[in-house]
Amino acid sequence: MANQFDVVVIGAGPAGYVCAIRAAQLGLKTACIEKWTDDKGKTALGGTCLNVGCIPSKALLDSSHKFVEAQKDFKLHGINHSGVEMDVPQMVARKNKIVKTLTTGVGGLFKANGVTLLEGAGKVLANKQVELTKADGTVEVYEAANVVVATGSRPVEIPPTPTDGDLIVDSTGALEFQETPKRLGVIGAGVIGLELGSVWGRLGSEVIVLEAMDRFLAAADEQISKESLKICKKQGLDIRMGARVTGSEIKGKEVHVTYADSDGSEKVVVFDKLIVAVGRRPYTENLLAADCGVNMDERGFIFVDDHCATDVPGVYAIGDVVRGPMLAHKGSEEGIMVAEIIAGQKGHMNYDLIPSVIYTHPEIAWVGKTEQELKAEGVDYKVGTFPFAASGRALAANETEGMVKVIADKATDRVLGVHVVGPSAAELVQQGVIAMEFAASTEDLALTIFSHPTLSEALHEAVLAVDGHAIHIANRKRR
Amino acid sequence: EEPILSPAARKMADEKGIDHAAIAGTGKGGRVTKEDVVRHAEQKPAPA
Repeated sequence: MANQFDVVVIGAGPAGYVCAIRAAQLGLKTACIEKWTDDKGKTALGGTCLNVGCIPSKALLDSSHKFVEAQKDFKLHGINHSGVEMDVPQMVARKNKIVKTLTTGVGGLFKANGVTLLEGAGKVLANKQVELTKADGTVEVYEAANVVVATGSRPVEIPPTPTDGDLIVDSTGALEFQETPKRLGVIGAGVIGLELGSVWGRLGSEVIVLEAMDRFLAAADEQISKESLKICKKQGLDIRMGARVTGSEIKGKEVHVTYADSDGSEKVVVFDKLIVAVGRRPYTENLLAADCGVNMDERGFIFVDDHCATDVPGVYAIGDVVRGPMLAHKGSEEGIMVAEIIAGQKGHMNYDLIPSVIYTHPEIAWVGKTEQELKAEGVDYKVGTFPFAASGRALAANETEGMVKVIADKATDRVLGVHVVGPSAAELVQQGVIAMEFAASTEDLALTIFSHPTLSEALHEAVLAVDGHAIHIANRKRR
Repeated sequence: EEPILSPAARKMADEKGIDHAAIAGTGKGGRVTKEDVVRHAEQKPAPA
């Protein structure tokens, strides 16, 4: 039957498209529904991550970083040039081309794996029926043995600063500026705010970041977040903590933003563009029929168990629309877990070892427990750190800012957390993720050979420092 | 105490319904590798 599937996935972002591909690999007759369209009205796969998230932001971060390097660091190497300019429309066009390549690529993978693409908006009805509303308004109903909801998230709007798509934008708009704003405001010093603030700051914007919380990167290890704040400020980001935005007013081509400072006083700042990056919320608009039986929690996330099963047998939900960190790799892994469970396997996902990365330069990344978490849990731990300033590879690369920090259980020596701010932080943390998946001790890593000269050696040295026998720094006296 | 299984060992043991504690781990500190699960499954064929 043409309208019957083993699996119908709603949403083709990193959670949904990966789930659909894995389900098809496992021999399940799979359809994936997507309503996202590009500027020409064609269906665009890949979701937020590929279209307006991870990939485009990284493209702009890389372009803008090269510009800064050419401007500020080339002379140090003896590379003299007569002046470097940034062509912003060309930079954005390159980004758009990458997005196009990747989103088209997902379509190719669907074809190669035999996933049926259904273009339009999906809705979960009762009895695992899924309603598809196409762009022209026609409606079709599909019978699904299993339904996977992967509808993702959207930016949070706040009443004091309603976006107008021109002067006040969300993350999507901030990826599309055609010229560098002279004065740029960013509300929110989280991952998205820092990355977007970095891009435009590097190209010449005077950036002010307003953050309501008192502590910078509260989820990161405190020592790493302190070091990161220092580096970000040195790069020219004016980050104001404890700043609660209370209102905004558009006056001609300017945005006047009012905020309450940490000491309670009211301040006004004027911007040419304002980016609202205070967070993202689950997207469930027009998704669930009243009688479909799927429930949401009090924050609007679809309610699921540890295996992403909803309250309706055979209906699952994955990615940003359910609890847990809103990260592409988290959604994708949930997609694989659910596809395997549907195919009768023991799908499993380790929520304790989801790495976090902030693609500033240097990068900030971590996995596992922070020092303050372990303190709160009353765990006896030991810590080793190593600065990139002592790394030969980092010196050669002129990338000496930052450090690696490894935390291990004092009694068992098991690695509990790896935290890095510095060059290739994400890759170094990934080595920690692999080690931690195998329940490695710091001694296991100490006994492992790391190539010289590489940035990875900084992880090796930090591990050695845990027990006070790092070679390339003076070890702190043990208590 | 619950033994430590590698990710692949954990999945294979669960698929085959093998009690984690029953597998002799040969890894560091008695950690259970996938190889240990394969060997364990070969030694003890499932009851008919």
